[in-house]
Amino acid sequence: MKFKYIARSTSCLAIALALSACSNIGIKPWERDTLSRPEMQLIHDAVEAGLDDHIYFSKEASSGGRSFGGGGCGCN
Amino acid sequence: MQLINSKSINESANSPATKKASQSFKKIAPALAAASCSLLGITDAIAQEDNGEWKFDVATLIYAESDSRVIAAEPVFNATKTYTDGEVLNVKLVFDTLTGASPNGATPSNTAQTFTRPSGNGQYIVDPNESPLDDTFKDTRGALSGTWTAPIDRDWEYTVGAYGSKEYDYLSLGLNGGLKRYFNQKNTALNFGLAFSADTIEPEGGNPLGLARMATPGTASFDADYDASRADSSDNKTIIDAIFGVTQVINTKTIMQFNYGLSLSDGYLNDPFKVLSVIDSSLGPNYGGNYQDGGNNVYLYESRPDSRMKHTLFWQTKYALDNGDVIDGSYRFMLDDWGITSHTLDFRYRWQLGDSYLEPHLRYYMQSEADFYKRYLTSDEYTANSIKEASSDERLSDMSAYTIGLKYGYKLSKTKEFNVRAEYYMQSHSGDNGFGQLASQDLYPDSNAIIFQVGYSF
Amino acid sequence: MGQFQSLLVDIPLQDNPSHHPPPQLSLKDSLWLGQFQAMASDCQILLEGVDQLQAETFLKLATIETWRIEHKFSRYKTGNTMDQINHAYKQALSVDDETTALLNFADQCYQLSDGLFDVTAGVLRKIWKFNGSDHIPTSQQIDEILPLIGWHKVHWKAQNIKLPEAMELDLGGIGKEYAVDKVRLLLQKKIPQTKDCRILINFGGDLACSGPRLNGEAWEVAVESFQHEKHAALNVKLNQGAIATSGDSRRFLLKEGVRYSHILNPRTGQAITDAPHSVSVAAPSCMQAGILSTMAMLQGRGAEDFLTAQGADFWVQRS
Repeated sequence: MKFKYIARSTSCLAIALALSACSNIGIKPWERDTLSRPEMQLIHDAVEAGLDDHIYFSKEASSGGRSFGGGGCGCN
Repeated sequence: MQLINSKSINESANSPATKKASQSFKKIAPALAAASCSLLGITDAIAQEDNGEWKFDVATLIYAESDSRVIAAEPVFNATKTYTDGEVLNVKLVFDTLTGASPNGATPSNTAQTFTRPSGNGQYIVDPNESPLDDTFKDTRGALSGTWTAPIDRDWEYTVGAYGSKEYDYLSLGLNGGLKRYFNQKNTALNFGLAFSADTIEPEGGNPLGLARMATPGTASFDADYDASRADSSDNKTIIDAIFGVTQVINTKTIMQFNYGLSLSDGYLNDPFKVLSVIDSSLGPNYGGNYQDGGNNVYLYESRPDSRMKHTLFWQTKYALDNGDVIDGSYRFMLDDWGITSHTLDFRYRWQLGDSYLEPHLRYYMQSEADFYKRYLTSDEYTANSIKEASSDERLSDMSAYTIGLKYGYKLSKTKEFNVRAEYYMQSHSGDNGFGQLASQDLYPDSNAIIFQVGYSF
Repeated sequence: MGQFQSLLVDIPLQDNPSHHPPPQLSLKDSLWLGQFQAMASDCQILLEGVDQLQAETFLKLATIETWRIEHKFSRYKTGNTMDQINHAYKQALSVDDETTALLNFADQCYQLSDGLFDVTAGVLRKIWKFNGSDHIPTSQQIDEILPLIGWHKVHWKAQNIKLPEAMELDLGGIGKEYAVDKVRLLLQKKIPQTKDCRILINFGGDLACSGPRLNGEAWEVAVESFQHEKHAALNVKLNQGAIATSGDSRRFLLKEGVRYSHILNPRTGQAITDAPHSVSVAAPSCMQAGILSTMAMLQGRGAEDFLTAQGADFWVQRS
């Protein structure tokens, strides 16, 4: 139970720090041309990401990270 | 635009000052175009696509393990429609056909071993010194999912989704939802997601009772023994996933994401197809061999806790180089209450080559074993009935895995792309190496697989 | 099918804050022509592939949207957004999303042009009166007014704006082009998926179209020639995108043989002396074309070289 508390409070702190530091980091709306390119999206190929997630979820004990953990496929 | 009376254009085009002119004036046209687009509310992405049209992706994955283990083929059909007001509808259909054999959790032995099929119908025999593999795995699964994403106002966006998947002995239904809040001119986005999933496991023959003894095929008491090893004929599992994430634009070329995920599973978490070998720990001629009771080897069905809580921390960065190449790196840390800790490092480099690209990929994964992971049980533990939870599923062991791959893509047009990738996945396990006769067996063979995928987007 | 003359389209009073006469719809060679007044210009919408009811609806929508933009950003109305901004001296004013987008655009143009495009330069009209006379302001007058110019002096952050005392914003330089682009977007959204309809918008020489005509050919538009002596109209063919024109349209000062155009340099407070009579630029949107043509005029003698360096389609009139 202890690590649950530590992990949660650390992540809350990290998010709060990130937000406060973030208020001045960034770019103007018209500077978005590079970031709006398809290959710069965080999940560029959703089909490949889904297939890989399924493989690793079936073969390893960890899952998720980017989106929800698990795929409900019975692979345990 | 064609102009009549374009005298002035011709004059300036031929003027020797033209070349000098392009050097002395800063090129503002692209930035100005982007500024106008953002003013008029049109983003590059939407401008490039046909607004309101469907975009499709079809792909097939082939996965083949070495040593006659699992072979799987997985076709995917994905459709996305973007509406004029920024709403997105996504529908995905996946099929999964699996054949081949998977380790059943037992240890190899210097004598032949006979196992009951999980359904109770039939048996399979494993040769001496061979890794016990259960080839019952012939299954087809179909899954359908849909998500709807829409803006609420300038700063808020929501997503709702549903999911269903069915295979012969497994049904999974899920619902998910999420909220996203933008800050700081969309440089920062805060994301919260929640997913709920209800699974029903109904293997043929019913679910085995945890740590019950596997009935020995060919014995007179088989039917009674088999029934005694069964639990309810169907069992459920519920999973709740929550994710909190921050996406941050760092500069014009860099974007990062940081997520924290919490996953809670409850219910029947065992793998109904896995057993543990009981190894004779009494000093004597059978030291390290299979423990026998009533003249037959003792194998016990595995038993895991009926709940699991996982914490995941994930960090990803994407960086665009000036030449158009893209670097993508991520790290994931996982910690759960089964005692497993894992680290995942993933790295991709997209090498742009005009209309096509090459993308090498490297992945490193490492996990520590679950608290209740045991490669085998000893006869002392068995007779004392001292173990309450145990599993020899290699997926819960100390493990490290490497993936090395290469993807090639070719853009036929602005909206059509063909791609193909090949990857090699190497997994190695380690743990207790046994004693006596068992120590001469290879308890942790490496498992390697080839991954091959072909895809087409249009 | 009876002979169609023309009709006046009814606009509700609350949508006509500047009390313009009602827009007029007529049929000309299978093309619907809608005309109305706005921003001191003759505004026209040409529609192809629609029936009368749709033409009336489109004209009504275009007129209401243009009058809305005109009223919101006009320098001459009391109480509108522009007026509120130009009195935000003591306290920062929170502005809406549309104004925010326009001011962000003005900010970016200021940076891209190294300060030559500056929406705070409107105050120069107080000392430069372009009536064909020879009264050019003295250097003392210019020195007094220069401190009131400079977008970098304006406090603009996260939808809040505050001006230093006596400074003013003037969005007249981009207002018409913005209206053209907004009306084009608005009408394009209203075209049903099943219909093949083409639109040309012409607000006093600032044009945008939704594509070529239904027969595949380009739109032919007569653009007023700014030549002093000849009044021959110039024919322009437009296939896609937009055209904007910056011209001196006979507003200038003439002193000792030097022609001072009404294009003023915000950094020096001086008029550009070698500006062309007119610059027309083609670009995907009217706003882009408008900024490029304005910046070209500000280059004076270097207008053609500037536009060549930007890779733009353009046409410059000098004599």
